[in-house]
Amino acid sequence: MREVQTIFPEARIPYGTWGCSYFPAWQTSPLAEVNIGQFAGEAMARILALRKVQLQKLDYLVIGSTVPWHYKFWNATVVSMCAGRRIPGFHVEQACATGLQAILLAAAQVSSGASESVGVLTFDRTSDSPVGVFPERRSYRRTEVISDVWDNFGFDPATGKAMLQSAGNIARKYGLSKQEVDELTACRYEQYFKGRSSGFIQRCAVPLEILNAQGKPMGVIDEDKGVKPISLQSLRSMRELDSCVTSGTQTHAADGMATLVVASREGAKALSARPEIDIRFVAKVEVRAGASCMPEAPALAVGQLLKNTGLSLSDIAVVKDHNPFAVNDAVFAKTFQYDWRKMNNNGCPLVWGHPQGPTLTRVVMEALEEAVDLGGGYVLVFGCAAGDVGIAALFKVDG
Amino acid sequence: MKQMRKSTLEELGLGTVLDVFRNGKLPVDAERAVTAVFGPPEDRGCMVISGANGVVGAGKLMQFAARLSSYGVPMVALDLAGSPDGIGKQLTGLRKAFGADQAAEIAKNIIQLNYDGKSLPSALKIYKPKFLLEAIPEKLELKRAHYALFRREYPDLHIWSVTSGFPSEQLGVDIAHPAFPHEINKIFEIVEKEPGPASALLWALGLIPVEVSDHWSFVLDVFFCGLMQASIRASSMKNMPYWKTDKYIRKLVGPNPFRAHDAIGARGANFLTWSCLHHLHLQYGPLFEPVPELVERKDSGQNWYPPDHFRPLVNYSISEQEQSELEDVVYGSLFQMTTIMLHERRASLSAMNAIGELCAQFTRGMLANLRSRGATAVLQTIARYHALHPEAAQTSWYPEELNRMSEVEWQQLYVNAEHDGVAGVIHISRESYNSDVDAELNRAMDWLLSQGIRRTILCADFHLSTQMVGADTSEFFPALTERAQGIRIAASWSATARRLHSDFDCTVGFISGKRCMGGMLELMMHCHYLFAADSVVLSMPEVTLPVVPGMEGCHWPFRKADEAGRLQLARMLLTGRPVKATQALGWLIDRTGPLETLLSDAWKLVNGDASISQRRHFEDAALPPIQFDAIDGLDSGDAQLEQAREAVRNTIRAACGAGLTEALHMQAEHSADFMVSALCHKGVVGAAWSKIASI
Repeated sequence: MREVQTIFPEARIPYGTWGCSYFPAWQTSPLAEVNIGQFAGEAMARILALRKVQLQKLDYLVIGSTVPWHYKFWNATVVSMCAGRRIPGFHVEQACATGLQAILLAAAQVSSGASESVGVLTFDRTSDSPVGVFPERRSYRRTEVISDVWDNFGFDPATGKAMLQSAGNIARKYGLSKQEVDELTACRYEQYFKGRSSGFIQRCAVPLEILNAQGKPMGVIDEDKGVKPISLQSLRSMRELDSCVTSGTQTHAADGMATLVVASREGAKALSARPEIDIRFVAKVEVRAGASCMPEAPALAVGQLLKNTGLSLSDIAVVKDHNPFAVNDAVFAKTFQYDWRKMNNNGCPLVWGHPQGPTLTRVVMEALEEAVDLGGGYVLVFGCAAGDVGIAALFKVDG
Repeated sequence: MKQMRKSTLEELGLGTVLDVFRNGKLPVDAERAVTAVFGPPEDRGCMVISGANGVVGAGKLMQFAARLSSYGVPMVALDLAGSPDGIGKQLTGLRKAFGADQAAEIAKNIIQLNYDGKSLPSALKIYKPKFLLEAIPEKLELKRAHYALFRREYPDLHIWSVTSGFPSEQLGVDIAHPAFPHEINKIFEIVEKEPGPASALLWALGLIPVEVSDHWSFVLDVFFCGLMQASIRASSMKNMPYWKTDKYIRKLVGPNPFRAHDAIGARGANFLTWSCLHHLHLQYGPLFEPVPELVERKDSGQNWYPPDHFRPLVNYSISEQEQSELEDVVYGSLFQMTTIMLHERRASLSAMNAIGELCAQFTRGMLANLRSRGATAVLQTIARYHALHPEAAQTSWYPEELNRMSEVEWQQLYVNAEHDGVAGVIHISRESYNSDVDAELNRAMDWLLSQGIRRTILCADFHLSTQMVGADTSEFFPALTERAQGIRIAASWSATARRLHSDFDCTVGFISGKRCMGGMLELMMHCHYLFAADSVVLSMPEVTLPVVPGMEGCHWPFRKADEAGRLQLARMLLTGRPVKATQALGWLIDRTGPLETLLSDAWKLVNGDASISQRRHFEDAALPPIQFDAIDGLDSGDAQLEQAREAVRNTIRAACGAGLTEALHMQAEHSADFMVSALCHKGVVGAAWSKIASI
């Protein structure tokens, strides 16, 4: 295996200092009615305590979210207050790339020497998203009203197309068959439920009890609510909304949060329960595909990343992506002649949902857990984001 | 005279409790005490409270004004011109406590004067200042200059500082350090070379002065600020929000330190806690060093609880292992701090223990807590704490103090006994009965019997305990889920109470405070005679909680009463309503009257003068059925109250219908059965349990 230079050489992800809420499907849980920034802060405190990481050890916080939330203006400062620690930080937003971008920015913060230990906290509530009213003098109606989640799914202002259409475009461009995409989807569900029954999912996702305004329990978020086993037969029977896109072969909106810590080399050793495990940042690439071609953007990004690092997919131990459409994985597999059964073990966003901000953060922590189980190696994480963007990053796990 | 240990009353220079009975009068009366401090009525001076608009100043102004107005002592409230009005805020509370008319009378006696901090107003002379209670900001030089200012004009003025931390030696005046809430908390930690007339005055006015040594900070502050510091540490260790940490601390220790700081006013309270710890840190070392979170809140004045718009969303429960770590952090530091205070002899052990309960709201006094764990376990807790906070080990502490736990002062924190070779007095300094009191009462009885004393009075201690409020209901929590625990508590406490009847030739239960209720009344009624001052109110409120009395209240007094008396007793139990001592004469109380007459009578009786009161016949055998139908006025329309009444009726029927031996267990079983019932769980005790114990 080739050794390559690392980006952010001083930054590490301390093994095990991560966790996320389960991602209940939108409108199915108490998360549908909370201030998600507050929830994320409080949940971060709880999760890091379970991981034996005291918030006192953090000196900076990078938060990421895509759906506006109350008090967002105050960004990381108010979220850190909700966690119980007054530290500075900033907010990052890049649609579904947010969860990965936030981790990479935290690594930059550490590697620059500006911080010793940075908390990454990504979150979103797609349920009951805010509705924005925008004075638009040039628009026909002069005032535009936008429901933040659904209207953005349905309309890319740069192309005038819906995201779903981009999946259909790419399915046609790559000549994908519905049969293969359905089979791939069925495989993803099997992988997820295997991860659940083996306890893998539970290593990252933490049950959290939600309180109402009176302080009384209003439910425990202890599963990716809304996710049910689905058979190949049932997938095959689903109506195509666009080429190879059915309600089964695309993800669903969800609510949730995810957090992890990025620290200096020494800091990571002090924070991790298994300091012998070293997790480094190797490479990162972002590309932009053609108009309304979002699902091919991740494959393009991975291609660029492999070129930059001189590695091939055979060098990679774990491959995992953010795949709002099963088409994403089919295109990736076709591009690199890669067996899609080998990637996304134990679950992926296609199955456990799409809360936007935290999605790729959860992908990263699950991928790192899998790599540790395998005894280390390169970890490739990638995904698409609104605007036909593809993002890919490579991590290295040793020990 | 012999005594198990020195009484706290003696530490005030007011003699022993036995002296109170032997002399047939209280050691000092209020009129004499007022005269000693403020001069005779024809030349009476005033009390000055400086910094009167502050939280402490205004609270104490009202507390003293309410007590001194009837003695014609003018209350001068002195503060800087332009100070925010803290006195006006107190008037609502004054009206609530005393009614509009009396509150107006009290307020009429308050004279508000302004000054510039450099000279005193000439109008002050009119009121002849005799006693200054200084409550100005915590700046040593400012305070010293303030005293000098007063002494220049009033050289004979007695000065007390309410300082939150400076030693008397540095201030140059005596100290009366009050406990929060200042309007109602009666405890003052007094630093003075010898108990003086001002301390006697406080006692005579119904306040509770406690003599403490001259060290940095005070017993209460070390406990409470120490607890706050430990709670912040525990919170940080577990990333646990303060509101949730408060719940665990309440379960573990008793108070809600974070809520308390917010309730007092976070800006001021955070500063005072920081100031106390900061000075203790300088004096003693890193055990007390204020944690960064406290420094931050001291500077910002921010509340500990989240604002309303961020009411907690995510619940936070910790495992038993984590709770155990939290316990190590909290108790480890408090235990270490306590050994320092023990080494310094900051107060008598009984007083030190009581300060934790009466001022810091500890469910169980710190020394009683240490005692129940034993020295070895306490040392292990401190060692585990030092593993988590190694810097604390650098502060000198005194593990050898824990080796003295077998000494009587440690063993009798709540119950003391004295005798003169003929008769004795057992006195209880805790207002509610718990397992500590139970064990100590047994030891006190054993001691008297070992001294050959078979005649004794049982009473409160005329100092720390000003009333007898019944059983400590937190002791019932284990019984809410386990019937055997209910039986254990009821049977063992009843067995203790029965010793007053069976092990002694003559026992007199003496009730002198404001009230005697529930378990404490059940205890007292086991004495051969029950005396109560005519100002006393008695009640058995169990049915309203609801619980079923467990210490034989449902049959013991019935065995001494005639049929009409038994109906009165049943009415008292079924309504839960209070009864004046004078109304209970003959069926519950054997003698009532003015306090001083009663003191003398009780002493004569216990010394063998049978003419004082005739012992009522006590029926060992089963009693005839109680005619409950003859009790009117019980309809309440409250189904739950009716169910509770039926449980009490059944207990009375069963226990009175049995012989004395069986009755104890019968009552204990009824009490235990009720404790595990849904009705009890829905009530006051159940609600407290679910709030405190089951977080």
